[in-house]
Amino acid sequence: MTEPSARSVPLGGVERELLRQMRELQGPDDRPVQRTRMANLVIYCTSQERAASLNAEIPEVVNVHPARVLLLVADAESPSMELEATVLVRPLRRGSHGFGFSEQITLTAGRGAMHHLPFAVRALLIGDLPTNLWWAAPVPPPFAGPILYELAEHAQQIVYDSRGWPDPARGVAATAGWLEQVERGGPGSWRIASDVNWRRLKYWRRMLMQSLEGVEDRGLFESAAEIRVEHGPHAVVQAWLLMSWLTDQLGWKVQAGRVEPGVEMIWRFHGPTGEPLLRIHRADDGPADIQRIRIACCIDKHDAALDLFAQDSQRLAMRIEGIDEAPRTLTLPPHSPAELVGRQLSDRERDPVFRASMSVAQVMARSLLE
Amino acid sequence: MPDDFQNPHPLEPDVSKSLLPQSCQLVIFGAAGDLSWRKLLPAVYNLNIDGVLPTHFAVVGFGLPAEGHLSSDPDEYIRGRAKDGITRFSRQPLDESHWADFARALFFVPGSFNDARAYAQLKAKMEAVDQQFGIPGSRVYYLAVPPTLVGTCVEHLKTAGLIADPQELRSFTRVIVEKPIGRDLDSARDIMRVVGACFAESQTYRIDHYLGKETVQNLLVLRFANSIFEPLWNQKYIDHVQITVAEEEGLAQYDPKTGEMIATRAGYYEGVGALRDMVQNHLLQVLCLVAMEPPWSLKPDVVRDAKVGVLNCLRRMTPAEVEKNVVRAQYIEGDIQGRRVPGYRKEVRESFEVMKKPLPPESVHSTTETFVALKLFIDNWRWADVPFYLRTGKRMPKRASEVAIQFKDVPPVLFNAQPEVPLDPVVLSLRVQPEEGLAMRIASKLPGPKVHIYPVKMEFNYSSSFGGTSPEAYERLILDVMAGDATLFMRRDGVEAAWQFVMPILEHWERMHVRDLPEYQCGTWGPVEADRIIVPDGRRWRTL
Repeated sequence: MTEPSARSVPLGGVERELLRQMRELQGPDDRPVQRTRMANLVIYCTSQERAASLNAEIPEVVNVHPARVLLLVADAESPSMELEATVLVRPLRRGSHGFGFSEQITLTAGRGAMHHLPFAVRALLIGDLPTNLWWAAPVPPPFAGPILYELAEHAQQIVYDSRGWPDPARGVAATAGWLEQVERGGPGSWRIASDVNWRRLKYWRRMLMQSLEGVEDRGLFESAAEIRVEHGPHAVVQAWLLMSWLTDQLGWKVQAGRVEPGVEMIWRFHGPTGEPLLRIHRADDGPADIQRIRIACCIDKHDAALDLFAQDSQRLAMRIEGIDEAPRTLTLPPHSPAELVGRQLSDRERDPVFRASMSVAQVMARSLLE
Repeated sequence: MPDDFQNPHPLEPDVSKSLLPQSCQLVIFGAAGDLSWRKLLPAVYNLNIDGVLPTHFAVVGFGLPAEGHLSSDPDEYIRGRAKDGITRFSRQPLDESHWADFARALFFVPGSFNDARAYAQLKAKMEAVDQQFGIPGSRVYYLAVPPTLVGTCVEHLKTAGLIADPQELRSFTRVIVEKPIGRDLDSARDIMRVVGACFAESQTYRIDHYLGKETVQNLLVLRFANSIFEPLWNQKYIDHVQITVAEEEGLAQYDPKTGEMIATRAGYYEGVGALRDMVQNHLLQVLCLVAMEPPWSLKPDVVRDAKVGVLNCLRRMTPAEVEKNVVRAQYIEGDIQGRRVPGYRKEVRESFEVMKKPLPPESVHSTTETFVALKLFIDNWRWADVPFYLRTGKRMPKRASEVAIQFKDVPPVLFNAQPEVPLDPVVLSLRVQPEEGLAMRIASKLPGPKVHIYPVKMEFNYSSSFGGTSPEAYERLILDVMAGDATLFMRRDGVEAAWQFVMPILEHWERMHVRDLPEYQCGTWGPVEADRIIVPDGRRWRTL
C-alpha cells in the first residue's frame, strides 16, 4: 500500500476520487473495494489551525467509529469566493490488521463561500447511515447562528465540547435552553445533542457515586457543608457540569452565586439540613481537567471530609481525611479527545441524567448572571 | 403478431435468435438533438467497443441541425457530433485507434421530418448504406423526437415505403418510440393509434430507459431468485415503499468556466413538468417491478402482463385526494456543487432567449412543476394499505435514484422500548443510479458489556463487486431492439394504464389555475410542503 495523500478535486468529482484513491491503496487486487463506514460525521470548524488539529484527530475518531468524514473549514480570514474540496482515503487498521478504508472530504470555504457549505454537505452525505455533526467551533452551539441548524438538518446527533468556552456562564445558561429546542423525538426524526465534556466526567461520576454509596449511611448527605472543586485551565465547565449533577443527586437547590473573576465561582445552596457552599476554583496550571474535589461533611457525627483527586493521569483516588487508610482508587482509562468523540458517535441514547444536570447548571449560571 | 426472429440460431442451437442482435441500420430521427448527442451515439459507440453489435451494422442520422452547424459533408457533421458526445458522455473513453472504424459507419441525412423529399433522400441513403455494409434491409428507427412529431415521422415512413411487413422473413423493421408518449391520455392514444396504423405492436418498442438499468432489472432477480425476500414482500411485513428519482441537473446546462448557457431542455420541458416527464413513465414503471406479482415466465408478454396488473390496481385519486396526497413545486435560485444556479423561471426566460424563440405567454410566470411527490396505494391483496411514496425533482443535491423498501418495526418492547429514540427500521434500498447496487440496513448490537443497538448497512455495489462499469441503459435497450426482445419495453395497454392513473392529477391541476407553486431552493431535497404527505403518517422522506 502506498501512503495516502489528500488531493484537491472539483466538488462534482469527489465520489470518483474517493473510489480512485481506494483502488490505488488496495493495489493490484481483484477483490471488491471494502468501504467501511458506519456513520456520516460532519465536522465544523472556523480556522485552519483548528482544522490542522482535527486532521490529526480524525484517524483516531474513525478508527473507533468508521465514518465518512466531511471536515468543513469556514475560514473567515480567507477572502476566497470558492468552495474547495480535497479528498483523502486512509486505510483503517487495528494492529497490523487492515479492515477497509475511511474517507475524508475536506471542504474549505472563505468568507465569500460559506453559504455553499450546507448545500455541499447535503450532496455528500451517505443515505441510511446515522449523521453526526461535530461542532468544533469555539463558539457554543446556541450562539452559532443558522449555519448550525442548516448543517444539522439531517443529523441525529450534534456533538460539541464545552471545554474551553470563553464565557462559561453564558454558554451554560444558553445551552440548557438550546438543548430543549434542538433535541427532538419521534420515528425517523429524532435528534440528540451530546457534550464531550460530559463524557469526560464518566469516571468522576462513578467515583463519586461509589464514594457516596460507601458513606451514605454515615450521614454525609445531610451534613455536607461545602464542596470545593479544583480544576485546571479551560476545565471550568467540566467542573460545573459535574457539580450540577452532584448537587442534583444530593437534592440541593441553588440560592445564589457569585464570581471572583479568574479565580473562583461560589454558590450557596439550600440543602436538607442547611445552606451548603459550592466553590469551583481554578488552578493556574495543570491539565484541563478536574483535579480535586473536597466535600466537607460530618461522618459519624465528626467533622470530616471526602477528598477525591486525580492521583495521576490514569487513576482517580478517594480518601476520608483524618482516617489513615489507603485511598480507594479507580482506573481512569486514557481517552484522547478524538477517542471520546469516536465513542460518542455510537452512543445515541438520550441521557436523562445529562439533561437534568444541565437544568441545574442553567439555574447556577443564571444566579451568576443576575 | 408472429415474431420472425424467434427461431433457433443455426450455429448456436441453444441460443434463440431473439437474444442476438440482428444486422440492421439504426436510423436515429432527431440525430442532431440532445438525446442523440448525450446518450444514443455514445451508447452505440460503447456497444461497438464491447464487440456486441452485429457485424453488418450502420447508423444513419436524420434531422435538421441547428442553423449554421451543418458542414458541407453531412456525414462529417454527425461524426463530429458523435465524437463530441462520446468524449463528453461516454461510459468508456474515446479510443482514437478505434474511432475511424466506428466513424465510417456513421451517416447523416439532413431534412425536415415533414418533408417528403427528405424521406426520399433518407431512403436512397439507407439503400446505399445497405449495399456498402451488406445489411439485408433491416431497420431500427429510433424516434428521438418530441411526441408531437411521432405521428408525422411514422406516416412519412409508411408513405415512403420504408416499413417492412412484420411477416417479412428476410428483414425486419422496428420502431423505438421515446417517452413521453403523449402529454395526456388522449394524445397518447392518438400517438399509439398513428404508430399502430404503421407498425404492428410486435414492431413497436416504447422505450423507458429506466428499465434498462441493471438495478431495475435486478429487482426481478432480487425478488424471485432469493428465497428470503418474496415471503416478506407484502403488506404484512412492509411498512411502506419510497421511490426517489433525484436529478442534479436543471433545465439548462452552463459552461463551468464562462457561466454561459450551453444547452437547454426548455423547449421540451416547459409546460410538461415532472409528473409527465418522470412519474407517468419512469417512476410508475419501476413501481410495477417492485409491486408486480410473480410472472409465470420471463417471456416479454408475461412480464408485461404482470406489470399492467399493478397499474390496473393503482387507486385513482379524487380531487380531494390529489390535494392531500400530491405536492408539486418549482425550484428557485440555490446552490449546486458550490455554485449559485438560477431558479426555474429565470432559466425558462433565458432559454427562450438563447433559442431565439418568443417566450410563450403561459411561460412568463411558468407553473411547470420541477418537483412532484405523491402518496399512492395499490388496491390488491398484496399491497392493501401499504403507502408508496414517490418523489422526483430537478436541481436536488445530487443525482440519486433508489427504491427503498422499509419493513415494519419490531414491537415496542425489548430493544425498541424507548419511544423517543426508536430503532431505525430495516430498509432494503436499491440504488438505480449512481453506483448501482443495493444495501440493507439492519440493527446490530455494538460490541461491549451493555446492549446498545446501532444500525449497520450491508452494501453490494455493482462496480466494486463485478468490476468495470455497467452498460448504460440505452446500450442494453438498443441491443434488445436489434434482438427483437420487448421484455423491457412498455406495451400499449401499460402506457394507457399509466396515463389513466396520472390524468386525475393533471386534470385537477388544470382546474386549479394556480399562479404560483410551492418553491424549493436548488440543492435541497424539495419543498417543505412535501413533508405533509408523509410526516403525518409518522414517516420521513429518506436522505439519499
